[in-house]
Amino acid sequence: MSIYTMGIDVGSTASKCVILKDGKHIIAKSLVSVGTGTSGPSRAIAEVLENADMVREEMDFVLATGYGRNSLEGLADMQMSELSCHAKGASFLFPNVRTVIDIGGQDVKVIEIENGMMKNFVMNDKCAAGTGRFLDVMARVLEVRVEDLGMLGDESTKEVGISSTCTVFAESEVISQLAVGTDKRDIINGIHKSVAARVVGLCHRVGVRDQVVMTGGVAQNHGIVKALASQLQHEIHTSPLTQYNGALGAALFAFQKANK
Amino acid sequence: MSIERIVKELSAVAANPKGQLKAYKEAGKKCIGVMPYYAPEELVYAAGMVPFGMWGSNRKTISQAKEYCATFYCTIAQLDLEMLLDGTMDLLDGVITPSICDTLRPMTQNIRVAMSEKLPVIFLAHPQFRRPAFGLEFCRAQYTHVKTELEKIRGCEIKDEEIAGAIKVYNKSRAARRDFVKLASEHCDVIDPIMRSAVLKAAWFMRKDEYTAKLEELNALLRAMPVCNWKGVKIVTSGIVVDNPTLLKVLKDNHVAIAADDVAHESRAFRVDASEEGDPMMALCQQFADQDFDVLLYDEESEKNRRGEFVANLVKESGAQGLVLFMQQFCDPEEMEYPYLKKALDAAGIPFIKLGVDQQMRDFGQAATAIQAFADVLAMQ
Repeated sequence: MSIYTMGIDVGSTASKCVILKDGKHIIAKSLVSVGTGTSGPSRAIAEVLENADMVREEMDFVLATGYGRNSLEGLADMQMSELSCHAKGASFLFPNVRTVIDIGGQDVKVIEIENGMMKNFVMNDKCAAGTGRFLDVMARVLEVRVEDLGMLGDESTKEVGISSTCTVFAESEVISQLAVGTDKRDIINGIHKSVAARVVGLCHRVGVRDQVVMTGGVAQNHGIVKALASQLQHEIHTSPLTQYNGALGAALFAFQKANK
Repeated sequence: MSIERIVKELSAVAANPKGQLKAYKEAGKKCIGVMPYYAPEELVYAAGMVPFGMWGSNRKTISQAKEYCATFYCTIAQLDLEMLLDGTMDLLDGVITPSICDTLRPMTQNIRVAMSEKLPVIFLAHPQFRRPAFGLEFCRAQYTHVKTELEKIRGCEIKDEEIAGAIKVYNKSRAARRDFVKLASEHCDVIDPIMRSAVLKAAWFMRKDEYTAKLEELNALLRAMPVCNWKGVKIVTSGIVVDNPTLLKVLKDNHVAIAADDVAHESRAFRVDASEEGDPMMALCQQFADQDFDVLLYDEESEKNRRGEFVANLVKESGAQGLVLFMQQFCDPEEMEYPYLKKALDAAGIPFIKLGVDQQMRDFGQAATAIQAFADVLAMQ
């Protein structure tokens, strides 16, 4: 008889769910673009169950992770930190992974993996510099969609330095650049390099070993991935499932629990 | 009295310093605010007054102090000034302002300017070179200044035998707190991180003889119990102040116990005793000279990274599996020391994490994630 497990990643800006069959096969996933403290988590759960054509009672184990992991009392059987879950998810998708860089909505994590397990990690301080929130703020100032940043940055033809990594100061720096008529695409490229520089500092605290895998929503911005790879001088791997990585890890841990 | 009862009483003191201050004043005692670090509290006690520790606040919001401080300023120092400005500490009869770090040094002058018409502000400069004879003499001159100012508040001289008596009371109290730290680790199933912090914090708001009597009773009850078989993980905490119950609850919830600490507000304040023989003023100066392994103190052999090794050994000897560094935001000494501490911990193979904290933090979501993940890492090892 098959074992079905659900992983729920309640982030600060999005809620993601994955249902796994026998700890191997992803049979359904869902993503709602609002996170903790909103209707996002319950909508994501309803959606993933609908996609799998299943009900909650058919789940053998449900494990929550992410910033809002403690808010799912009654819905999840257990909660775990997203660092453990990202390590687990990345090891499933990339069996040779040694370094995971996860840039989420409000924090950045760099995880060292050994034999598929988290060995060490660092997180950013509480400031939003270098996070998905930083990019949201910049996109708003530049009047572009955050999902278009990667494409627009590719079209840059001129180096523009965004020196500050503080979100507030960087915002005023970007406004100053706009005021003197600097091309938005060059500013965006500068922003990507600025974020990468911040994250590279964190990476070196843990040490960077191949394979390097980037997870989290920001991994969809290839401008950031490119800038990071260039500054780290390591190839960076991403997956189309990057945003689901935490939920996938949670579902894998849930399978271990259900199997005990 | 039961363990629960004593812990509850001391926790009530730790949670309500203002109530404690009011009670002492109503009992006719004079109270002296004592800011960090290493002020000779014994002199206050010898004068028959109550030393009242001032280590910021987890509840207040900085408002009036901003008039005096830059944004990037240690919140402990800012909150001390805030509590003086907003009337929280109006019942004090004076305040001792040590100047051992670059933040506290200008803060002593802010407090002097802001408060000196309201209450006596007693400046204290510890010697940078605390061990040579000239350092000891400088320290004696400074401590004599503190003593003279306290005598003005008291209205009469503080005699040597009173200081010698205070040293005995304080040595006894320090020994009891060192015992408690060990017992709290051995009985971490009973004394969780929130209780441990509250018991140690209460010492800053009580006459030490009263406090020590309660603590010794608690220690005796703990000692009589079998050492617990802890299934969770154990850590050493490091930093300036680690007393926020919400933050400490994260440790508790993740089955993380504290085996020992390298915290200025806790063990660093009671590691070293003063001699009970000879000239008591010089004994207090020598006690300061004997302080060591503190990020705030000048180390004549700094190239050896002795403090880093000391902290690494503390982790090993206490039976902890790792260390959590609670780094105060904008604390220059801690930030500058960090690479050396990291080097020593890495060399000793000790897992650790660094969490940025300050006393204005109300949300610990990110810290909770890091602590839970760290507990996972330690458990897997």
